[in-house]
Amino acid sequence: MTSLEQVIAEHSVVICAGSGGVGKTTTAAALALHGAQQGRRTIVLTIDPARRLADALGLRELGNEARTVDVVARGSLSAMMLDQKGAWDALVERYAPTPDVRQRILGNRFYQHLSQSFAGSQEYMAVEQLYELHHGGRYDLIIVDTPPTRQALDFLDAPQRVGDFLDRKIVRWFVKPYFAAGWATLRVMNRTVGALFRRLEDATGLSALAEISDFFTSMSGLFDGFGERVQRVNRLLRSKRTAFVLIASPEEQVLTEAEEFCRKVSGLSVSLRAVVFNRVHRESGLDPRAYAEDWLRELAARVLKSAERAAAYGGNFLRYETLARGDNLRIEAFLRQLRARSRLATVMVPNFDEDLHDLDGLRRMIPFLVGAD
Amino acid sequence: MNPADLFRRRLLVVAGKGGVGKTTVACALALEGARRGLRILLCEVDGLAGTAHLLHVPPPDVGSVAEASPGVFIMRVDGRAALAEYLGMVVPVRRLLDAVFRSRIYHYFVAAAPGLKELMTIGKIWYEAEGVQDASGGHKWDLVIFDAPATGHSLQYLRMPAAARDAFSAGLVHREAQRLVELLTDPARTAINLVATAEELPVNETIGMYRQLRDLRMPTGVLFVNRVHTTDFADADIERLRSAVARRREERERVALAEMAARAREEAGWTRVNARYRARLAEQVEMPLVQIPFLFSEEFSLAEVREIAAHLRREVPATGRRERRA
Repeated sequence: MTSLEQVIAEHSVVICAGSGGVGKTTTAAALALHGAQQGRRTIVLTIDPARRLADALGLRELGNEARTVDVVARGSLSAMMLDQKGAWDALVERYAPTPDVRQRILGNRFYQHLSQSFAGSQEYMAVEQLYELHHGGRYDLIIVDTPPTRQALDFLDAPQRVGDFLDRKIVRWFVKPYFAAGWATLRVMNRTVGALFRRLEDATGLSALAEISDFFTSMSGLFDGFGERVQRVNRLLRSKRTAFVLIASPEEQVLTEAEEFCRKVSGLSVSLRAVVFNRVHRESGLDPRAYAEDWLRELAARVLKSAERAAAYGGNFLRYETLARGDNLRIEAFLRQLRARSRLATVMVPNFDEDLHDLDGLRRMIPFLVGAD
Repeated sequence: MNPADLFRRRLLVVAGKGGVGKTTVACALALEGARRGLRILLCEVDGLAGTAHLLHVPPPDVGSVAEASPGVFIMRVDGRAALAEYLGMVVPVRRLLDAVFRSRIYHYFVAAAPGLKELMTIGKIWYEAEGVQDASGGHKWDLVIFDAPATGHSLQYLRMPAAARDAFSAGLVHREAQRLVELLTDPARTAINLVATAEELPVNETIGMYRQLRDLRMPTGVLFVNRVHTTDFADADIERLRSAVARRREERERVALAEMAARAREEAGWTRVNARYRARLAEQVEMPLVQIPFLFSEEFSLAEVREIAAHLRREVPATGRRERRA
């Protein structure tokens, strides 16, 4: 079976997927640091790093620029924060035929909504950014931290979803004069249905529709190359050089979502190559039948010369054993299911005694991810 | 606000970063509310049926209500379904509606209109919170608890009504949105509660969300600090246990000593991290803080939710007045 270290070595794009709150950002940054240590020109594309990690990566200021991180490594490490609004704006700037059109789009309220809140737009912009970085050729390893979603697959669907959204056949309906064709069809179908739509419009906002229409009119030239772009981005996500790594933790709900992810991903032609479990409580390996709490207490008391403190240490150890047993059972069950279908590298990162989010923290994590070296 | 007043609201929103235990806190609040004699509706939105899972009942269909525990009813709200339901109330001709729901432009419209699904979801929750029972004239529920999605997304839900109200200067939408805004900003009826764990990322996000709520003039409730470790161990003692390992011959004793030291270090580490970040929360977030201990259990299930509910029973005092509204 391959190790996560091999997976990193053999791919030029590594996408870290998983539910929110499992340490995705930190894991992505640690894998990138490892890449740089291995002599590769590495960049980590991150979404919302903790402040101290952002500090460590030199990402205090927002913006779409790559920044070089000052680390001692054979390769190099850069980091880039995904700013989705900025990325959409950059896309418009690049493709708008005239400054006039550009201004009209950037000032359009629907565009402003869209670039901030359209479902999947953040995911799409991450993919778009990834494509740009890959295309630019300045890096030979790109690690991507995906946006925090509960449904991690959104990331994969996003290009198609945004593509469908900008589908020209349907967009035509929205282009001025307002829905002329659409309304006419509806009227033929049934006059009352037309009235219904007006009601719907009233319930949600005529002005919004006018803005949408205006937006699509302005954007119409931009869509011509869009379908092809979505295709190219999709090809990159499914390329042999791209690996997906699922980040999880041993919590029941996280593993349920992770299972769902694995099930769905097997039907898509992307290559899921590894699973990382963060914050795993480790079992001591002591056979619980071979000792009792009293025995632990006595053992500790002989060292500490205090029955009371010894009891606290013994009790704490047993409580952590309980946690570890639960983590182990859940991970085992998860892996049993998974192994029936595929062969993945799996790594377990233990629960440390602190929150990890600076370069030292990343260094502490790396040996567990890729084996001590 | 005084935590004791929590159960006298009509609507409790439970928000926070992903993975900090929002659903757990929402379920525990529901159980405790029901124990105090309230009829509770617990709403969730993201289709994962987390509340049903935690309360150990089969998930109800989207839009329908199921009693998960005596006095606790759960409902999965879906914006698209809520819009369909709303249109059904406005336009009661089924055949016409079906034609609308079948049309492509409708689906496109629903997907494209920014915030529409969020607005409809909040509308549905408002309808449940303020809805009146036909016969008696009393409210359908004594309290509605909304297990909101992760921070950024829940802010979208909370902002939508005001955005919709401002986008329309008059008319039906303006009036309906205004009613939603009134409920969401009324401290007598609503409390937005936050859940955090006392660690770097969740704390930053919580402080950010608190500031946004303040800017939006939303009434805040209780800040629940979840999974708090509270046992400190002296470094010197840990070191003594660790160095005693070398003096032992028997393998079992060596492992046990090393493990007792390592787990104590782990617990002490998190206790210190939690204390530090809890202090930062207390300093930057002006909300009453209720601490929920970390539970050392093999698996997190209904028993653990009940344990947290019992903890809330002690931490959130009863008002002395009857909490059930007529």
